[in-house]
Amino acid sequence: MTRTGVVAAPRCGLADQEAGSEFERARRLAEERALVESARQGSRAAFESLYRNHVGKVYGLCLRMTANVATAEDCTQEAFIQAWRSLPGFENRSAFGTWLHRIAVNAVLAQGRRRRERLGADASVEDEAAGLADPAVGDDGAMLDLEQAIRRLPAGARQVLVLVGLYGHSHEDAAAMLGIAVGTCKSQLHRARQLLGEQLAAQEVVP
Amino acid sequence: MTTERKDTAANLDEALERLPPTIAPGRDLWPQIDARLEPRGARHPRRWFWPAAAAVLLVVGSSLITARLLQPEAPTVASQPAPSPDAGAAFAAAAFGPGQTVGPTYDAAREELVRSLSARLERLPPDARRQLEKNLAELHRASAEINAALELSPGDPLLEELLLNAYQDELAVLANVNQLAGGNGAGATNDPTRMQL
Repeated sequence: MTRTGVVAAPRCGLADQEAGSEFERARRLAEERALVESARQGSRAAFESLYRNHVGKVYGLCLRMTANVATAEDCTQEAFIQAWRSLPGFENRSAFGTWLHRIAVNAVLAQGRRRRERLGADASVEDEAAGLADPAVGDDGAMLDLEQAIRRLPAGARQVLVLVGLYGHSHEDAAAMLGIAVGTCKSQLHRARQLLGEQLAAQEVVP
Repeated sequence: MTTERKDTAANLDEALERLPPTIAPGRDLWPQIDARLEPRGARHPRRWFWPAAAAVLLVVGSSLITARLLQPEAPTVASQPAPSPDAGAAFAAAAFGPGQTVGPTYDAAREELVRSLSARLERLPPDARRQLEKNLAELHRASAEINAALELSPGDPLLEELLLNAYQDELAVLANVNQLAGGNGAGATNDPTRMQL
């Protein structure tokens, strides 16, 4: 009741929605921390919950970076196994998802290195395009074409585009992860965008 | 940039933003992951490290054998200060990031070398010994820093390669000690630069 005696109407404006979503975020974060702590203590059930919560994002990253379904599945598995092993050293300095994302990038890069060692220095990652399958990205035709156009990019350009263009890493961060110079990272992104633009213009799929 | 190119770039950005960050895998990957999870506390050896370590161990092993066969009773260098009592104490367990080791064969060979380090150090000239201890301390510091970085970024291929190099360098230094202190004497010199990596 207000001082004028008017009963205040229930607040359901934008501020309430924001407060609600903020509350929801905090609740999820607390839940995740509890799961992380349980998994750190050795609970596989808690780790499975973390897997279920994050597998889509990890697999999405791996598939887009490797452009190969089987390789992406391998990298996803490696990322979660590595996360399980490394969990005792995780100190909540970043969100679990951010930490896991980094592990997934490392798994993809390590897999690429092993593959190059196996096939020789001349082997290009683009060879993998033969084993591609369509990812489940919904029934939006334009989006599917964009995914396919990304997968056709040269590996170096594709990885930079995925990290910087899709997942929002800075050039500095992506360059450090990929082990390349920041300038190279920028030029790879430019190249990726140029090639992507050409592909999409040819297909006329850009909305 | 022409207007048309600007439009294409803007459209491309918009299209990229609309891509969902998640993609569900075509099958459930959990059963295979679950089957490969070690119980908490188990330390997992890096499989790919073995071939690299084997080459170094071969060098170290033959160095030890040669040293023992050629000069089993090499005289201790006289009139030099006693070695620091904890010359081998700075050797932390060789790890490869949290929860991982570099393999039992490597660990066993390294432990053997570390155990004999103090005795072998006594046979070295002071300058050479100081240089050796400095090199080992730098390698240990580097290994500790890389291991700390690996905790933040587990599985980082570049960090793993750096760490592998650090461990290989450490083994090379330890092998060098054997050659200088227990070998045929040709390496027993006051020239500390011979200890450089």
